[in-house]
Amino acid sequence: MSSTLQQATVTRNGQAEADRQSRRRYQTKRGIARTIGYLALTLLSVGTAFPFVWMVLTSLRASNTVFSEGIIPRTFTFAAYVQVWTQVNLPRSFLISLWITGATVLAVVFLATLAGYAFAKLDFPAKRILYFTLLSTMLLPGTAVIVPLFLELKQFNLLDTSSGLILVYIGTSLPFAMFLMRAFFETLPAELADSARVDGASEFRIFWSVMLPLAGPGVATLVIFQFMFTWNEFILANTLLQTPDKLPLQPVLLSMQGQYSTNWPILCAALVISIVPIVVVYVRMQRQFVQGLTMGALKT
Amino acid sequence: MSASTATVGRYSGPKLQRYLVGYLFILPIVAFFLTFVLYPFARSFYISLTQWAGFGVPRFVGLMNYQNLLDDPIFWQSLRTTLVYTVVSTILQTILPLLLAVLLAAGWRGSVLFRTIFFMPQVVSLVVSGVLWQIMYDGNFGLINEALKGIGLGGLAHNWLADPNTVLPAILVVSLWQSAGFFMLIYFAGLQGIDQTLYEAAKVDGATKLKELWYITVPMLRPVTAVVVTLNVLGGVKAFELIFVMTGGGPNHASEVLGTYLYGLAFGSTAGAIPVVGYATAVSMVVFVLGMAAVFLQFWMTRRARDV
Repeated sequence: MSSTLQQATVTRNGQAEADRQSRRRYQTKRGIARTIGYLALTLLSVGTAFPFVWMVLTSLRASNTVFSEGIIPRTFTFAAYVQVWTQVNLPRSFLISLWITGATVLAVVFLATLAGYAFAKLDFPAKRILYFTLLSTMLLPGTAVIVPLFLELKQFNLLDTSSGLILVYIGTSLPFAMFLMRAFFETLPAELADSARVDGASEFRIFWSVMLPLAGPGVATLVIFQFMFTWNEFILANTLLQTPDKLPLQPVLLSMQGQYSTNWPILCAALVISIVPIVVVYVRMQRQFVQGLTMGALKT
Repeated sequence: MSASTATVGRYSGPKLQRYLVGYLFILPIVAFFLTFVLYPFARSFYISLTQWAGFGVPRFVGLMNYQNLLDDPIFWQSLRTTLVYTVVSTILQTILPLLLAVLLAAGWRGSVLFRTIFFMPQVVSLVVSGVLWQIMYDGNFGLINEALKGIGLGGLAHNWLADPNTVLPAILVVSLWQSAGFFMLIYFAGLQGIDQTLYEAAKVDGATKLKELWYITVPMLRPVTAVVVTLNVLGGVKAFELIFVMTGGGPNHASEVLGTYLYGLAFGSTAGAIPVVGYATAVSMVVFVLGMAAVFLQFWMTRRARDV
């Protein structure tokens, strides 16, 4: 950056003094610009974070102080959390969400790794057509298939069962997951597989013992991404499950919205509880998280 | 890219074995695809040509549902709202994240923290975002109105989501809050790929920051912008989940988009009473066509971005 300027001062000795002055001017100007930029960023990030801060503050209120004490409460209480934990039976839906999410993530990672590897490293007739056909369904709006999916599960007696929902999640998530894993396997050198092939290893053996151990980072990215998607999904969950006792977290939050519409501490406590796992995963594994999202967007 | 399509017709032993392994690897995903994407979709198309209450035998009526759509004022209104929502959210969510990314890329101390905060709304579910903002917009004690009163603009305070004039802007703000961090990150990744010598040359020529942005950054990011616009357009056509949570399409269809309309027809309180499953599916076909149009727009745009 400043190296070109330095070169300029070295090569044109007569101008050195003038250059130094203009650089000083330039730097004060830059200092002001930097301060303004920093202020703008700070304000914007405070604005972005504030709804969450308000949510936590509200969840710590006593339910009768919401409309009397302004934005920041004077006393804090965990009463709302206790209520949510016992009255609404949030732990049950929390566990259901964990089960549905866990099963979906496992299945998707396994199947997408197989398919992604095949599309990246194996050769078979009609490969490209198959790949693009699968990929194009990634762009289908979910609302366009929600009615027939509902009817289909009804037909197979899978409506209102968590296994039915898990199957639908797997089916709808696989195209993107396969795309992600393929992009990852593309980055691995082909020489490894080739030399194993020369040694007479079977294709399955190459995948299992040579390629899969190298796929760690790709798998980690997919796990996080899939976890976030499944944990947060609610339209399908809300439609394909109906018995209140079987509902995972998001539909329960949705029904609480109507039930406790004026009891904000309870609502906010439930929201806070529901985002804990996802925030923990996000903060701890931010790098893969961001990588997965941007990889999906930029490697088209 | 090592996608060489093999010549069909000369299948020797080991080669055939390799083909079979490839097919074996993609068999599960293809099975899922057929069961949960292709079959429901084909069926969706058929149902849209019938009159049906969701049980019993569907009655084939040809294009009647589509004809009825043309005479349905709520359909036209929700189509218009969908398009307006898509256009406005795309403009906002393409320009502001770009500026945000450029600001961030200047290399601040704590830029990781900034990025973490901006991305936070993307991490929580749309139910959380929707419920949270719904109570923030509350007409009496919501945070927005409290804040307005706090800075002496109490006259502006009103029930944002219950007023047909403010409901869409209010939801668009949430959409921006929710997705700005994601698009910012995409731009941020794109910025890392721009050749720094361009900026150095511009500095020597005495270009201002604004000129750098306009003459170097924006043109160099054109392919990334194409991706961001496409994702936005697709998201706009799908603009459904946030509205579903925050207003359910109300007040009086003011925030009704195609998604909320068809969902209400198929699963709402009147579902099952009137045979409208076929009709709802016809609406979903319109959503699908719009989605496909958006995809073709993407191909066209990325091609153009490459040609420039």
